[in-house]
Amino acid sequence: MININVKCFSQVKYALGKDELNLELEVGATTLDLEKIIREKANGKLDSVSLRIALNQKYIPHETELKDRDEVAFIPPVQGG
Amino acid sequence: MILTPKELNDQKSEFTVIDIRPGEQRNEFPVDGLETVVVTEKDINTISGKKVLICQFGIVTERVILNNNLEDAYSLLGGVQAWMEFQSDQSDLSRWSRQTVLPEIGIEGQKKLMNATVAIVGMGGLGCPAAQSLMSAGVGKLKLIDGDIVELSNLHRQPLFGVDDINRLKVEVAKDRLEQLNKNAVIESTVEYFNKENGMNIIEGADVTIDATDNIQTRQLIDRFSKEANVPMVYGGLFRYEGQVAVLNVNGSPGYSDLFPDPPSGGETCEDAGVLGMLPGIIGNIQALETIKLIVGIEQNLIGKLLIYDGLNHQSEIIQL
Repeated sequence: MININVKCFSQVKYALGKDELNLELEVGATTLDLEKIIREKANGKLDSVSLRIALNQKYIPHETELKDRDEVAFIPPVQGG
Repeated sequence: MILTPKELNDQKSEFTVIDIRPGEQRNEFPVDGLETVVVTEKDINTISGKKVLICQFGIVTERVILNNNLEDAYSLLGGVQAWMEFQSDQSDLSRWSRQTVLPEIGIEGQKKLMNATVAIVGMGGLGCPAAQSLMSAGVGKLKLIDGDIVELSNLHRQPLFGVDDINRLKVEVAKDRLEQLNKNAVIESTVEYFNKENGMNIIEGADVTIDATDNIQTRQLIDRFSKEANVPMVYGGLFRYEGQVAVLNVNGSPGYSDLFPDPPSGGETCEDAGVLGMLPGIIGNIQALETIKLIVGIEQNLIGKLLIYDGLNHQSEIIQL
């Protein structure tokens, strides 16, 4: 198993009610597997929200295998002004 | 009491000018166009009549006057640095002396700001504080665009507007207020929403574009024109207590389309999600700060990075794009 620290921003934070989560995943789990878990935990509240993923403070455009103690941030678009 | 270089120049004959700088500094930066006397701090009171104290940046002299309770004594605003600039081209930069004293800004940086043009798309919660700070910092020209009018619900987060401005056009009220901050600045206002037709005209020719819109569609359009015109875009966005800032499209650096490839969905506007006025104030000011850094050329910046600031726990995260 691997331990992953998840940082939640804007709608993700409100959907999950937490700034941060610590999750245990199977070895070989990817960023997309983690995104599925996060969306399931949100009980539909993130269904219409696009999410970008940063792995260890760096954006990653493609599915990437996670390693033990990785930090993953889920970042939705925000509007403004 | 404070005297600007121009005031001193006009009334030179009425004052004894006292140079309180250490000898080393006096030799390195001599003063042209003023007859000065050199006196130590404890002996200043021995000189009678009206006097002006000068130091390098006009900061030490203010303290000396206060500490010694000096009468009839003035501090030269901006010090020798501002005086020499005034001597060379009659431009009085002393009002910016508190920022020109910063080595990263200096007189050269101030001149860059005064020659710069910044386009601000949207004159709402982000646009108001950004415009206000840039105007105060001495940016020479602002291009403002917004087709909206001032509403009562805007006032808690849009500090350029007051109750008497309700139903007036935002860019017109903003222009009136901003002109009071710097009479020499040029403010060009466009009473339209930013769109495909007017977009290029707003962005082209600007040194930086600030994205202060409240919706993703307009942001994508700014991104497109910003890339086409090769004008950097300083993005700002908000969600409740959280804000995002990124500096995009700087000579091919990542743009908004790299940050959120289209069509992103799910963001809510401040009207939908709610916001405290301080949040756009903080984020709009960070956008203004990044704009200043781009113009002056300060290397520590948010080019190719996304800053996420959380106003609840005051934590921030910087993501490399």
